[in-house]
Amino acid sequence: MPNPPNSLHRPSLTPTTSAALLGAGLFFLGLGCSSERVSHYRVPKESASAPAPAPAMPPKPMGERTGEPSDVPPPPKPKGSLKWSLPKGWSELPGGGMRFATFKTPYAGKLEATVVVLPGPAGGELANVNRWRGQIALPALDEAGLAKARTTLKSKVGTVNVYDFTSDGQTKSRMVAGYVATPDGNTWFLKLTGDADPVAKAKADFMTILGSLHLD
Amino acid sequence: MINAYASRVWGFLKSFQLTIVLLALLMCLVLFCTLAQVEMGTQGAVNAYMRSFIVWNQPLLLRLPFPGGALVGLLLTLNLMAKTIDIKLSWQKSGMWLVHVGLVVLFAGEFVAGMMQVDTNLTVEVGQTVNFVQSYKQMELAVIDVTDPTWDEVYSVPDTLLAKGGAVTIPGTPITLNVKKFYANAELANLAPGALPSLATAGVGAGVSIVERPVVSADNEMNQTSAFVEPVAGGRSYGTWLVSVALGAPQSFTHEGHTYTLAMRLRRQYLPYAFTLKQFRHDVYPGTDIPKNFSSLVQVVNPSRNESREVLIYMNQPLRYEGKTFYQASFGKNDTLSVLSVVENPGWLLPYVSCVLVSLGLLVHFAIVLRRSLKRRQDKKEG
Repeated sequence: MPNPPNSLHRPSLTPTTSAALLGAGLFFLGLGCSSERVSHYRVPKESASAPAPAPAMPPKPMGERTGEPSDVPPPPKPKGSLKWSLPKGWSELPGGGMRFATFKTPYAGKLEATVVVLPGPAGGELANVNRWRGQIALPALDEAGLAKARTTLKSKVGTVNVYDFTSDGQTKSRMVAGYVATPDGNTWFLKLTGDADPVAKAKADFMTILGSLHLD
Repeated sequence: MINAYASRVWGFLKSFQLTIVLLALLMCLVLFCTLAQVEMGTQGAVNAYMRSFIVWNQPLLLRLPFPGGALVGLLLTLNLMAKTIDIKLSWQKSGMWLVHVGLVVLFAGEFVAGMMQVDTNLTVEVGQTVNFVQSYKQMELAVIDVTDPTWDEVYSVPDTLLAKGGAVTIPGTPITLNVKKFYANAELANLAPGALPSLATAGVGAGVSIVERPVVSADNEMNQTSAFVEPVAGGRSYGTWLVSVALGAPQSFTHEGHTYTLAMRLRRQYLPYAFTLKQFRHDVYPGTDIPKNFSSLVQVVNPSRNESREVLIYMNQPLRYEGKTFYQASFGKNDTLSVLSVVENPGWLLPYVSCVLVSLGLLVHFAIVLRRSLKRRQDKKEG
């Protein structure tokens, strides 16, 4: 008669094995704590490798398009509000949230005109212009490049600095921005952004708005 | 006494009844988790139901505690291990052994994924070069020393650390950040006339009012994480600043010739290599808008490996590189922006190993049973 197969030694749950299991659990739990440290990175300037525009929302599944990067810096309470005259066909929508005003244009296509006001220099002209350039994947400018890119326009509120940038992408994005500091210490940003073609059509009207700026 | 207790525990662990109860609990969890995704989003529901030891305070469960996926998985793993050890070690049972070991490996893989998997994304436009991935939901306060004309020194303070409040020392700098208030989600608006002044005394936050909002976790929502922080360096306070994901304006201060910018943003992980998007293609079926294929042609440049090569990433054909897997996930900006989903999971091989073991185990078991059956039939014929 053949011998029955050897049965495996059946260990009981000893304090040693319990401790080992507990230790393994604590080890895995401990891994979660590693994300609570201040990390340090030394990285090339973002101008050298242009920053990726952060999507306003997590990416949607394939088949749905992501939104444009959010650009809504906050306004302070303006003491003396800026006023403007709108060209024919343009209308003003309530600002809402951090936006002081939004313009509706008569032009078709992807296009948006917004007004934002910030207290003080709001980080400075160069930093803000480079932030806008980063949003359409353009490298940052230095002070000399900024001066070269700037055109000016006279208005009743003072000199408006105007920038006009077009992206290098296959489908070109364009941004026309007016930057003006008012005597109450606030800085106003008027921006026309969207696809290059509708922005080109709307630019003349937008420049008229910039030229019409005056204080309340 | 101890032996009797251990024996009872062992008996409980290897019992088939425990397997049935745990599988039933797992089925309930899958159902609840699926339903909860509508409100909580995929990640929120998975974290609440599947990757927690106890499910707390969920409306679907009438706010009663319920064993979470981690606890059920752990018990199921122990149950399987006990069951495996309990099976006789013989050639006749070798198939069953392989199947059980395969299942244990599968659970271990999910445990490793739950604990160690990191999901991020890489967003890049055509012509752009990007050397970092960023989280979908987690935030960081980046304190960046921008003084050097070539390099930025980035000090990343995770939102979880900000949430604890108090003083946060930034190693390698003379700065200590006093976190005065933290909002996991908040709404920013104009400071209304007559409203209480802002906590902020420096930067653009002085003119902004902030209202706390409930935390959101749905896939299409993002928390507007914000905080009031006071940088102190060399015994000098640089005022209280409002930092928020909703703030686009640059904010900075200078200490002893070093300029530091403050930016609340999605948490980044910088890479020792960079991706340049050379081309993004969105192919549709002729005459329709129905997508046929999405693909990103990227140039991978890795100075540490002296490597520069082109890689085509397209649907179901990810790039596995340096422990990360880059999948084509989304796109935008009139087909000029590509979003790659980046997954880092040290245990990614375990499910494959498990599949091989289970398949092999079933084949071996089938062969053994078939042989036994044929032998029995042969014996019957001869008998």
